[in-house]
Amino acid sequence: MSDIELYLFEADKNKMEAQRVATQSAGRLEAKTLKLIDLITSLEPYINDKDDGSIRAKSVTYLADVLSSLPPRVLSGQERRLLCDFILGRIEGDAEGIGASARALIALEGLGKWDADTVQKVLRTFIDNTHPLRQFKLQTERYALVQLIDLLLAKYRDALRQLHESDHEFMTGFISYFEGEKDPRNLMIIFSLLQVPMTEWDIHACAQDLFDSVFNYFPITFKPPPDDPYGITAQDLKDRLRDCIAANSDFAPYAFPQLLDKLDSTSMNTKRDVLHTIQACVLGYEAKTINLYSVTLWDALKFEILNVQEEDLALESLKALGLIAAKFAETAEGPLNAYLRPVIKECNEHLEDAPTKQSEATGRILHALAVSGPAVADKISKGVLPVLFSLYNGSQSITKRRGLLDVFNHIVAAYVELDELQPNTNTEALQAYANDALEAMIRALVNAPKAEVSFRLASLKGLTQLVSTRNALSEKEGERAVDTITDMVLHEQFEGHGDIRAQAIKALTDVAHSIPLVVRDRSVPAFMVELLDNPSEGSVLAPVLEAFAQLSTERQIFDTIALRLKNKYGVARHQGAPQQYQRSLLLALLYAFTFGAPMREDGIIRSAYYTEYAEPLLTDIASRPAAEQDHSTLDIVGRIVNVLLRPQGVHFQSTVYNKNLQWLSSAGKDEMLAMALAPFTLQYYAGMKAEVADAEDIVSVLKAQAHLALHASSDPVGVSTVLRHLSLLVNKFINPKTMQATLEASGIEVGVLLSATASSQAIGAAFAVVKGLLIQGKSGALATRYLQALLDILASEGKDVARHFATLLAPDDILSKENHCLVSGLYKQKIFNQSVPFMIDAVRTADASIKPNYLIALSGILRWLPYSVIEPSLKSLIAPLLQTLDLNEPAEQEVKASALIIFESLLMHDPTIVAEHTASLVTRLLNSTAGPANKADVRAKALQCLALAPRQLKREAVVPYRRQVVKRLQACLDDTKRSVRTEAVKCRTAWLGLDEGNEDEE
Amino acid sequence: MDLDKDNANPTIINPSDLPSRRRSAPTTKRAGIFDVLAPAYPTLLAAPSSPPEAQSDISSDSEEEEDREEIDEQEVYDLISTISDPEHPLSLGSLGVVTLDDIKILTPTSPRSRISTVTVLITPTTSACSLTTVIGLGVKVRLVNALPPRFRVDVRIKEGTSKTADEVNKQLGDKERVAAAMENKSLVSVVNNMLATCE
Repeated sequence: MSDIELYLFEADKNKMEAQRVATQSAGRLEAKTLKLIDLITSLEPYINDKDDGSIRAKSVTYLADVLSSLPPRVLSGQERRLLCDFILGRIEGDAEGIGASARALIALEGLGKWDADTVQKVLRTFIDNTHPLRQFKLQTERYALVQLIDLLLAKYRDALRQLHESDHEFMTGFISYFEGEKDPRNLMIIFSLLQVPMTEWDIHACAQDLFDSVFNYFPITFKPPPDDPYGITAQDLKDRLRDCIAANSDFAPYAFPQLLDKLDSTSMNTKRDVLHTIQACVLGYEAKTINLYSVTLWDALKFEILNVQEEDLALESLKALGLIAAKFAETAEGPLNAYLRPVIKECNEHLEDAPTKQSEATGRILHALAVSGPAVADKISKGVLPVLFSLYNGSQSITKRRGLLDVFNHIVAAYVELDELQPNTNTEALQAYANDALEAMIRALVNAPKAEVSFRLASLKGLTQLVSTRNALSEKEGERAVDTITDMVLHEQFEGHGDIRAQAIKALTDVAHSIPLVVRDRSVPAFMVELLDNPSEGSVLAPVLEAFAQLSTERQIFDTIALRLKNKYGVARHQGAPQQYQRSLLLALLYAFTFGAPMREDGIIRSAYYTEYAEPLLTDIASRPAAEQDHSTLDIVGRIVNVLLRPQGVHFQSTVYNKNLQWLSSAGKDEMLAMALAPFTLQYYAGMKAEVADAEDIVSVLKAQAHLALHASSDPVGVSTVLRHLSLLVNKFINPKTMQATLEASGIEVGVLLSATASSQAIGAAFAVVKGLLIQGKSGALATRYLQALLDILASEGKDVARHFATLLAPDDILSKENHCLVSGLYKQKIFNQSVPFMIDAVRTADASIKPNYLIALSGILRWLPYSVIEPSLKSLIAPLLQTLDLNEPAEQEVKASALIIFESLLMHDPTIVAEHTASLVTRLLNSTAGPANKADVRAKALQCLALAPRQLKREAVVPYRRQVVKRLQACLDDTKRSVRTEAVKCRTAWLGLDEGNEDEE
Repeated sequence: MDLDKDNANPTIINPSDLPSRRRSAPTTKRAGIFDVLAPAYPTLLAAPSSPPEAQSDISSDSEEEEDREEIDEQEVYDLISTISDPEHPLSLGSLGVVTLDDIKILTPTSPRSRISTVTVLITPTTSACSLTTVIGLGVKVRLVNALPPRFRVDVRIKEGTSKTADEVNKQLGDKERVAAAMENKSLVSVVNNMLATCE
């Protein structure tokens, strides 16, 4: 059998096999065992079969398959030309297998470039003989045709343009050729290929036809079928269609009227599409074309902004208006003037009755336009500001003035943005009114009644922006602005409604960004005058100090602020100022380094700060005896040292470490002094990298701290500091391999600590050690054993031990990655798995007298776990949690609160799990709302949970309780605490709503 | 209702000019910005399990637990200012229909009585506003549901602000008529829509 016979035989049954036959023929052609002429001859009976079209089609497919498998240079140019003519000749008489013909041509083109004549002939043959495309029912056939045409348009632009230029009728056929295509895969290519004539050819004569051929598809409402293998989205189609519409200025006469017509659509999606397309057209069309439609566009688009339907539509319209202005700003002045004239006229009219929705919209419009270019901003200012200020001066109404200032602020904001993009924007037009504005705003801030909050805030904002606009204000004027704001921050003692100090401070920091030198030379001294060296007890300087510290968020004045704070602290300390004041100064310094903007080198805070700021403080501490050490001052100094030390490299840290080793280790030997210094040493060691410290030193530190933990005074704050230190040392410095031995040597091996009659100090120490180990996750077996030991003593000890469980997972900023601690990624899950199932079991079987121990310990663990960790075990947790709500001792309020928080998330995320417990839950929640046995936060949380019930549970499950709940909640409406009452109102509203029977509202 | 609004373009009060408790709280009570820098950590012995945030007010909490925060005018204002106007998508507070100055609480007149009275005066946006009664009804329903039973709620129209004041006052003052109104399905749904925006 010949290859063609084999192929025809397999074609319907086994596509793969047929393909193989074709490849084989191609191989023989290449090996020259088969001549092209023989191959064609062998096709003859089938390709010309008179009766069966499908055999003809399959024969062409065979030819296409063979040609696609051929490597280049097998066929001579002559042969390729002949083949091309052969295929085209067939098409003229027979449209069967048209897709395969197209594929064969694509393959031929791939084997060697065509000349202009061939290209023109190919396209002509197709357009003349296969018009219209929609006559072919199979998408794959049409797809091949579209691909061929796309290929021609991509590669042979000149040849095809000549075809268009030499024959005016050609285009008509070409445009209508694709009419009626609906398949998204084909449309994607058609939209793309049509762009070639649209952008490159002179299509003035047939612009309307060409435009209509694509605009017929607007708006695209295509929804891809579920699990669509081709992955074409509506957005893809929209993007390509939009590019077509925006491709040629000649479309404008048809595009704009039709688009604006569709802007009246009731579908938000259509409107969104229209706005995007208008934007694309403005960008794509020539300025002289846009000029013809600019005012029409303004008249239509403004409604979307003046009467906002959907916020994003307004934003898109604003963007479109801005693009139009930007288009003209690049070119001539005439069109820009013509466009802006009606805009300015209408905006000025809206200003007359400010503040209204329209005047607010005016501000947005003017901003969107002005920001599109300096030339536009200039014209806007010249057109609007005179009217704005004459209205301002002509009115006594504060609300009206506020409305006008808002609009003014919008315009200035545009200048600020322009200036960021291209410095040295021409601000002349603004300058003419800057002084008027400055005076008006300063007057408003100084003289207006304090209760006029919005007016004063608008003035404050305006002032900040004016200062930020380069060249708008003279140096003198800038100084006046700074003085006014500084004065507000320092001297406005107004409390309650009308207090805008916080905003004033923010304004001052913003101003400091634009004119740092003025702020440094005028505001900083003013602050320094207020901050006395040695204030009397009880004078209120905290607000001033807080404001001053916040200025440190501006990098350019950071060093000044930090230095002044340091010096002020030095003076205050020297003169013996009140402790509270000294502490506040240190806190301000800490604030500056924590939240401010200190200089950095390679992203790391400069080490010089440590030398300049932390070291003197440290020396000061080292020189003082135990009796003079102040606990909270040490804590703050420790934190300053920590924040400056911990990002530094090993080398720097080592130097610091060795410098302080001497006095720290000798201080460690004095129990009194070691205890006094505890808050400092904790922060100091927290900042150090593990490798900096010497192992032996650390063991002796651990011993000293262990000694303090087990024997020292009962001062609760001090003890907690020492215990945190223990956790830190265990977690970071001790080698996990020798952990148990080290703990034994220091007398804090957990087994020993818990043996027999454990003192409360020993138990505290045991929990601290276990905490350090659990978070570290390197000594898994040891940690598990210790945790089990802690769980075991719950059966014999009192509730105090149970309460300690809350400390295991309690967040502690000492044990963090920033402090170079070892924090295992899964330690929370681990602790959960190792302790919670055990406790759930214990609650079920334990004696009534020790059951509360387990409940308290359980909630101590649960309260710190994220919901996702608890989720899998919720079913078994509900019973213990409900019992937790029955604990009624005052000491158990925290435990109850944490159980309520879990119920709250439970009701939010998995209400079905609680559904069967509705009765017990509702009763217990109601009991938890009663004061004074329950604290305010417990009452409030219980009400929040209760409010979720009618929303989250099935209606029939909760309706039976409605009467009871609504009645009991009346008492909560009269709760002593306002926050609880607020929750009670919400909760009662939710339950009252049950009655209305319209469930869909719930 | 939307088609013929009685007052299509009312004055709107800027949100930052409305009275609120947060803004009127004295600054001394507010937490300073430094407080977060050096939080007091849970001490194991005193309060073994409180999180850092709760720790700071534990001492003050026990004292304050006894102090009673009385229901005051601001609290009543907060309850009703968020009700939406039936014809504008705006709150009664921002339209100036209810203002803090027009809310009065009268404490019990004799020591034996527990009954306090809340008087709320309503200012319709125009004197011919036909929805005045509905607004009054909404305010009344909200307060009856949200205040403890020892409060008597008295909602009326501010003198000289409405042409139909007398008639409306009569309706709102009459318990029976209010109860009857709340049986009316369409009225109930209007009132519920107004109250839907309440926190």
